[in-house]
Amino acid sequence: MSVAAQSELRLARTRSAQWAPALAAVCALVLVAATAEIVLDGAVGHSALIPKSPQIAGWLSGIGERLGFRVFLIAILAFSAGYAGLWALGRTVSKRWAIALIAVLHAIVFVGPILLSTDVFSYIAYARMGVEHGINPYLHGPIAIPHDPVYHYVGTDWKLVATAYGPLYTLLSYPFAPLGVEGALWGMKVLAMLASAGTLALVWRCARLREINPVGAILLVGANPLYVIYCLGGAHNDLVMLLLMMAAVSLTFARRDAPAAAAVVAGALVKATVAALLPFMILARRSRAQIFGALAALVLGLLIGLLAFGVDGINIIAALNRDAAFVSTDSFPTEIAHLVGKPGVFPIDHDLLKAALVVVGLHLMWRTWRGYDWVAASGWALLAISVTSSWLLAWYILWPLPLAVISRDRRLLVATLAVQALFIVHQLTPLFAPVS
Amino acid sequence: MSADATPLKRGRQRLPAQLRPRDAEQPGSGRLWRVETVVLLLVGLLLAIATVNDVVLATHTNHRLVVDLRTWRHYTGHNYKNVSAEQDIRKYTTTDVVCGNTTPGPPKERIQLCLQVTGPTVKGLRAARGGWYLPPKADNLHRYRYGCFGPPKQQGVCPR
Repeated sequence: MSVAAQSELRLARTRSAQWAPALAAVCALVLVAATAEIVLDGAVGHSALIPKSPQIAGWLSGIGERLGFRVFLIAILAFSAGYAGLWALGRTVSKRWAIALIAVLHAIVFVGPILLSTDVFSYIAYARMGVEHGINPYLHGPIAIPHDPVYHYVGTDWKLVATAYGPLYTLLSYPFAPLGVEGALWGMKVLAMLASAGTLALVWRCARLREINPVGAILLVGANPLYVIYCLGGAHNDLVMLLLMMAAVSLTFARRDAPAAAAVVAGALVKATVAALLPFMILARRSRAQIFGALAALVLGLLIGLLAFGVDGINIIAALNRDAAFVSTDSFPTEIAHLVGKPGVFPIDHDLLKAALVVVGLHLMWRTWRGYDWVAASGWALLAISVTSSWLLAWYILWPLPLAVISRDRRLLVATLAVQALFIVHQLTPLFAPVS
Repeated sequence: MSADATPLKRGRQRLPAQLRPRDAEQPGSGRLWRVETVVLLLVGLLLAIATVNDVVLATHTNHRLVVDLRTWRHYTGHNYKNVSAEQDIRKYTTTDVVCGNTTPGPPKERIQLCLQVTGPTVKGLRAARGGWYLPPKADNLHRYRYGCFGPPKQQGVCPR
């Protein structure tokens, strides 16, 4: 390369370095504007995207218009573009600005209505069934409390369905039950915010321990469109599961094997999926303390679950089998079925998907045994679970993200974000062909 | 092997070198990495094609449903907003059923007229070959249908 060309290249790099902070600021503003647009329009009230809810964000309702698919999808696309920009420019963002951006996004979502899902009302309904009505939520669906004020808000598809969440989460939700529907809703929002803050703090800590840029890591998780709008916006209990998952990773990095394994088991008693970490953690560390820690936590958790809810409260396998039979239009197996001319996923397909998942799991376990990064292996396992699941929701493809940003295999991060991007693309139909 | 090794560690040491656990991957695992990457790319390609295919299919269906709603409004002369369209989820034909109130009122709160819409789109409309009525607050179920006309009458779509 000639001296002139080298000089030109240096100049271009200097110029782009000068522009990078400004571009990052623009990306951050796009994220804030898109979130504010969704929240302000959502605050107007019930629509196809906003579930029926007590008017907790009524004071915001005079500013926006009722949230429709067009505005929502444009906002999500803008958010995603800003997020991609921040990913590229992550190194130019300071710690202070990254934390401020994430805090602002969290605050906007916190004051707004429940977005996109009725799940939080199911959580409240199960809590009120147990506390206010003395009904076991592992035996009956919310249909058992038709006169309770929360019943009206529970999703139609879930009124007959008993809880599939672990006994630890159900007990965690019980203190919110006496607060009334509105009080419980705020309680769930606070719980989601705290769990998110804890998860991000642990992502920061783990990234630093692995000598990965912690600012980029928390931006990739805390400013992710699916994380902010779908997961946080719906106050999903996946955030509690992610907190315990990251606690387990952080404890393993600190070589505290028994508490780490106990944290995974606690996470699985919130939502069973996180149990996928345990084999990789054990194969990597090969410590007896992990096995004792996991067994002690499991025995304690099951005992508490048994005392509180009876045998049905600890029959996690039955709940998983029931949920594995569900089919959603957004799932990749459904899309592949359509591609090959089938109307949807058949029972044989469920068996094939389970077999594929077993093969992937065994390969990852073998790789971990031979020295592959166990955090990456755990992330791949969670990604494989969400991709092969015939029941896919946006927050399911967030499970591997905190692991992906701290893993030593960058392919996992690319794959996780690619799957999330495909999920968003699949939502875009109403933008091309609105039905009215 | 050290003297203070646990029985578990001693057992692992007896394994052949290829089966022993490692704390870090050996540098020679590049071929496996390449094979995995190729598999991942192929899976990613399949998911991308399936996603785009699904979006295209759903877009075509939405376009058809828009024409169905327009057809119902054209045939009935009612420009109601809340008109519902149902697809044939049994035989997967493109014959849709579009239902709406016969007089102004909240959705399904009045006697509803259902039209069976079929065929290609011509000048922004499809053909309404026949239909039936539904009482107020009733879903489009066989037991509620009455007053069938056109092909549904011959097909016994109405119970009475």
